[in-house]
Amino acid sequence: MTDRPGLSYASATILQALSAGYIYGYTAMEATGLPSGTVYPALRRLEGDQLIRSQWERPSAADAALRPPRRYYKLTRSGETALEVLRKRHPLLAKLAPNEEVQDV
Amino acid sequence: MTRAWLPHAILRAASLLAPSEQRAEWLNGWRSELWYIPPHRAARFCLGAFRDAIWVRRNSERPARRTAFRFESPLSCLAFLTFAATVSGAIVVCLPAPDTVGMLLIFAPTLLPARLTIGWGASRRRPAPWPNRLRRGIFLLLKRALVQPVMLCGFAAMIRIGPAAALPTQLANYALWFLTLRWALSDQRNRCPVCLRLLTEPVRMGAPSQTFLEWYGSESACSRGHGLLQTSEMPASYSAAPEWHRLDDSWSGLFPPAAEVRQR
Repeated sequence: MTDRPGLSYASATILQALSAGYIYGYTAMEATGLPSGTVYPALRRLEGDQLIRSQWERPSAADAALRPPRRYYKLTRSGETALEVLRKRHPLLAKLAPNEEVQDV
Repeated sequence: MTRAWLPHAILRAASLLAPSEQRAEWLNGWRSELWYIPPHRAARFCLGAFRDAIWVRRNSERPARRTAFRFESPLSCLAFLTFAATVSGAIVVCLPAPDTVGMLLIFAPTLLPARLTIGWGASRRRPAPWPNRLRRGIFLLLKRALVQPVMLCGFAAMIRIGPAAALPTQLANYALWFLTLRWALSDQRNRCPVCLRLLTEPVRMGAPSQTFLEWYGSESACSRGHGLLQTSEMPASYSAAPEWHRLDDSWSGLFPPAAEVRQR
């Protein structure tokens, strides 16, 4: 299904944030201004709908930086298609500035 | 001064809401995220963990537990309740309770029939045969009658310790009363209306983000193939009550024979 009528505006904003390079849960929170209690369940729901997929960061990269590994999220092909539809419906989504600090994970 | 222990304590408390089989992974994910949060925002960030844990609990598939206290057949359920009622009755007789008859009168209203909402939608279209309805009613009445001695025993024990802690005793009494009746009703809802066995093999249906003219919830099946019970997690005008779907004989090949089910 490409039109995804069930996706809320919050889910659309999160999809747009991930697409703009805010690939971690907390950075997506910062970009969208949504609270953690909204963002993390939404990420799980979107992953369940196969619009995004998540993966843990490589332990070697995290160990080298002396920090715990993080889970990052990426849009799937159907997620990108859904986001295209949502952008037409919510033109303000495009105003979300892309993240210029996207790291290679 | 930043209280560094507070976010971890919040996460630990929230993790109790997550399913036990996913708790460690869930907690690990949140702790990992917490490392990146500025300390002055950490506690507020962690408060969202409660909502996330509830979401995970509601939306994760849990394996059906087969414990000693899961009485699939109605006879084993009634046998256990009879045993518990006998033991409780013996304890009540031994305890010098002040007014046993009065206490029985307190619990008498719990024997009044309750309206069960199972399968109202289906029953309006094709009502179950009256012997089935009668059997279900008798089973519910027996369960509610057999839990009375258990509740009475708890009440008598609380009266004994009541003078030491009046309010907690009363609260515990109400909790016991509520939980016992809730169990009797929820057990009844989770049973096949035909053979009264507990429904098994729950599976999730639908997706929470796609509820436009759709529904999401769980579906359980009778182990003897009498039907399926669909329970919506988001009550709506078209899915307020659990819906029972009777399966005809053409489905019987998918289910084990009754003798095999009886051995479980």
